[in-house]
Amino acid sequence: MHPNETTLNEYADGSLGAAERAGVEQHLAACASCRQLVDDLRDILRATGELEPLDAPVRAWPRLERAIRMEREHATRVTAGPHSGDAVSDPADAGSYRTYATWLAAAAALVLAAVVGMRYTPVRRAEAPAVAPAGATASATAGGAAESIETELRQAEAHYENAIKGLEAIATTERSELDPRTAATLQKNLAVIDQAISESRAAVRSEPASEPAQQSLIEGFKAKIGLLQDTVALINEMRKGNEAGAARIVSGLKQKGN
Amino acid sequence: MTVDLVASIQAGDVDAFEALYRQHSAKIYTLASRMAGSPEDGEDLLQEIFLQAYRKIGSFKGDSALGTWLYRLALNHCLDYVRSRRAKMNKLTDTLDAETSFEPAARRDTPIARMDLERAVERLPEGCREAFVLHDVEGFDHKEVADLLGIAEGTSKSQVFKARLKLRGFLGKR
Repeated sequence: MHPNETTLNEYADGSLGAAERAGVEQHLAACASCRQLVDDLRDILRATGELEPLDAPVRAWPRLERAIRMEREHATRVTAGPHSGDAVSDPADAGSYRTYATWLAAAAALVLAAVVGMRYTPVRRAEAPAVAPAGATASATAGGAAESIETELRQAEAHYENAIKGLEAIATTERSELDPRTAATLQKNLAVIDQAISESRAAVRSEPASEPAQQSLIEGFKAKIGLLQDTVALINEMRKGNEAGAARIVSGLKQKGN
Repeated sequence: MTVDLVASIQAGDVDAFEALYRQHSAKIYTLASRMAGSPEDGEDLLQEIFLQAYRKIGSFKGDSALGTWLYRLALNHCLDYVRSRRAKMNKLTDTLDAETSFEPAARRDTPIARMDLERAVERLPEGCREAFVLHDVEGFDHKEVADLLGIAEGTSKSQVFKARLKLRGFLGKR
């Protein structure tokens, strides 16, 4: 009789006691399929042990920095009272930022704050079988859930569209700060994303329960927001005269374009 | 060094916070992406974790290394995310037997490529992915995984083993 999968996993882990281990080894000597399973498990464990850290996206720091500065400015204004005005009042920032740069950062951070914390999680197809088990309760639950998913998707869509509108307004007004080649590249990338969003939206409309279509629509929104946030971050870095910061963002944009 | 860095961050020095971010962002992003099973959600979690760290840095008393404090904060945030997502999913799948099905890839006897494994981990179902990441990747033992995820130790084992068998299928190992 074959050892069960739990025992073989524990054998591969090296966590079996001596007596059990000897029994498994005796079996493995005569059973090619169990030997193959143990070899595969060990391969997976070895490869898992060799996984390396992933690099965070380049745009992550500028996004975070904007949110932090926004939070600090907000805290400073609250401390200073309601009539402290719109100028930068944090001594650490005074002189290094112009008012419009602060406004730009603040506006982008507001959009970021609106998007972070709000995630739409489409149901994976594997977790919701296409054919529900027989029974009125299960069908009713699945039907109610499908409606709830559609409602959530619509809410998520509206949320993302609002965020996109806000960022587009900033990016369009301030785009003249960018050199024409960078602006053209951004425009081209935006057009590609818009096309993908439009196709995903059509797919969702014709097949509302399709998880891949929902996922692809949400990913399209996220990609657009990411690109617009990069655009605003780039404009802001150029205005601050921070060439290193701008170069980091442009390099991230190029990576994404490849 | 840590004391200086923390003091500077507490005084509002964003450059000091950037130094902290540069030092730890890869580790935190890796944990968040793998726990969430998606690089996009991992990026959102990274943002939230560091924003929270910025807000809470005043509560860092130096009882542990700053990196340990940050990792614990990140882990708790990821676990909250996983729990809330699971609760949301359970609403839908409560009455359905949602045993995940998948089509195993054709058998391959070549070494496992790192990116293939990353993608395969992303495809793991909720529940067994988190247990696998915490046990096989992050190195917690089953008792710790059970405590972190609020499950029994035996469940942690079965989830990790289930994840490995699914990875075997995804990676064409059977």
